Amino acid sequence: MPLTSVLLLSMALFCIGVFGVLSRRNAIGILLGVELMANAVNINLVAFSRFQGGVVGQVFAVFAIALTVAEVVVGLALVILLYRSRKDVRVDEANALSG
Amino acid sequence: MTFDVVYGLSPLLVVALGALLLMLAEAFGKPNPQGLAPTGEVSDAGAGRAGELGMGAAVVLFVGAALSLGVWLAGPDNLVGLELTRPYLIWDRFTVFVCFTLCLGGGLSCLLAGGYLTEHEIDRAEFFPLVLFSTVGAMALAAAGELLTLFVALETMSLGVYALVGLRRTPRSSEAALKYFLLGSFAAALMLFGAALLYGATGRTDLAGIGQAIAAIGQGEGPGAAQVLIALVLVVVGLAFKVSAVPFHMWTPDAYEGAPTPATSYMAVAVKTAAFAVMVRVLLIAFGDERLTSWASGWPPVLATLAVASMTVANLVAGRQSSVKRMLAYSSIAHAGYALVAVVATIRSPAAEGSILFYLLTYTVSTAGAFGALILCGSRGKEAVSYEDLAGIAKRHPAAAMAFSLFLLSLAGVPPTAGFFGKLYVFQAAIDAELYVLTVVGLLNSLVGAYYYLRVIVFMYMREPAPGATLAVPMRSGYVASALVIAAVLVIALGVLPNVTLEWAAIATVGRS
Repeated sequence: MPLTSVLLLSMALFCIGVFGVLSRRNAIGILLGVELMANAVNINLVAFSRFQGGVVGQVFAVFAIALTVAEVVVGLALVILLYRSRKDVRVDEANALSG
Repeated sequence: MTFDVVYGLSPLLVVALGALLLMLAEAFGKPNPQGLAPTGEVSDAGAGRAGELGMGAAVVLFVGAALSLGVWLAGPDNLVGLELTRPYLIWDRFTVFVCFTLCLGGGLSCLLAGGYLTEHEIDRAEFFPLVLFSTVGAMALAAAGELLTLFVALETMSLGVYALVGLRRTPRSSEAALKYFLLGSFAAALMLFGAALLYGATGRTDLAGIGQAIAAIGQGEGPGAAQVLIALVLVVVGLAFKVSAVPFHMWTPDAYEGAPTPATSYMAVAVKTAAFAVMVRVLLIAFGDERLTSWASGWPPVLATLAVASMTVANLVAGRQSSVKRMLAYSSIAHAGYALVAVVATIRSPAAEGSILFYLLTYTVSTAGAFGALILCGSRGKEAVSYEDLAGIAKRHPAAAMAFSLFLLSLAGVPPTAGFFGKLYVFQAAIDAELYVLTVVGLLNSLVGAYYYLRVIVFMYMREPAPGATLAVPMRSGYVASALVIAAVLVIALGVLPNVTLEWAAIATVGRS
């Protein structure tokens, strides 16, 4: 499989992720979009690593996965926090702060 | 050799160790029956001990600042062992200067929290380990010379801050934290994608190596050059989110207003300082090649646009706020704009890097002081939020009003305060770099900015509170008072005798090739 097709795949995944973040109104949906973006990055890193030789890209991908997991843990905790106080996780309904 | 590394990295190590010890102290210490959760029960082991733990955290951070000073005096270049940490951590004078600023800002915020958390019954002791771990991340971020380190440091810093914002369990606070988290992780993902593209185009992950490879790719129209360009855009957008430059500032007012005030102060000073440090390093080292730093085909016009937008929009919107805390949030966006002017100036002026560092230091002491004074003006259930809350406070509590005025004047850039010299050197660097339009826009914006800072002072000294309005009653806290004294002394000292600090800032450069 040539590098270009892998890059196209990751680019498509990334764009779907960006679209999800921008169009979703549900906090969990936005989080999923961010996850897709992060996974596109991982595909990219591993593909570059394979086609250029060397393991730096793979090490980077492992770290990126760990970082994303840590991020999701904090993110879901915040979603639960918001749900406990508002019984709703739609971000467009959360408008106590504005101006 | 080992000594060099341990001594050189001591600010980072001390803060990390301090964070671990504080966590143990929180977990195994006895909860203080005086400080109960609002529901009347002891909710966690650290409850009711915000005062002492805050003191501990502040001491750790001030020790970190003192050690940074020590490393500076020993000279990071003389500590040959520090070569071992390259390219992952580049421990040069630039890093050490930023570490000092970060520890100072973090320490002041912890002192403020020691008073604030107790007063407002959000006595959750996890605040302090979070601040310390986040500061460790911020210091590593300032030092990062390699993409992997950069991301680990960025997340270490950010994750702590997300939790800090949501510390107060009210709908407003949770909402602020979630908004900040979603936008922050979105920006981090964009930056990560940019980093992956950079690795793909250059085959390197260290910033210096990337810089050389980009210079080699040069003018080419091939896929490599396109990848570099997309990566540059994504990285700049991600960094602009972190420094909260317009139009990537939407989260800032919400997060700053919803967070407990000491956390706001920490975000405004430490996160912004670290983000600017990494921005300067990435732009000058990785994207420092002649073509990308030229006005016609590189990042300078983009950053100049962000700078003008940040200063103008933030200053105009800040004047219309009714909440002082929100006004200070917009003021921090405007200050990011001034600092961005200096970042643009780095392309032609060698003094610009020093002016950014000096500016960030003056901004740190003034902003931490301003948020501290806002904390001091309120007490439980009578928090000072709006301009009306502050009306006539000078008659009732002259000391609080005087401290607030000093920090506001410094933020406005009135001589002889620290803020004046910070702005002066930034604009001097911009003139050196022949950025006359940017300088004029910056100066005009400083004038507009003076309006809303002075408006607070007018309310404090010349207005009477409306009859029947709830009066803000200043709190009594030795922690807050001592933080304000430290900040005030630094604001005046940097304003009266800026020379030594400025000379030091001037030799703290990122060492571009």
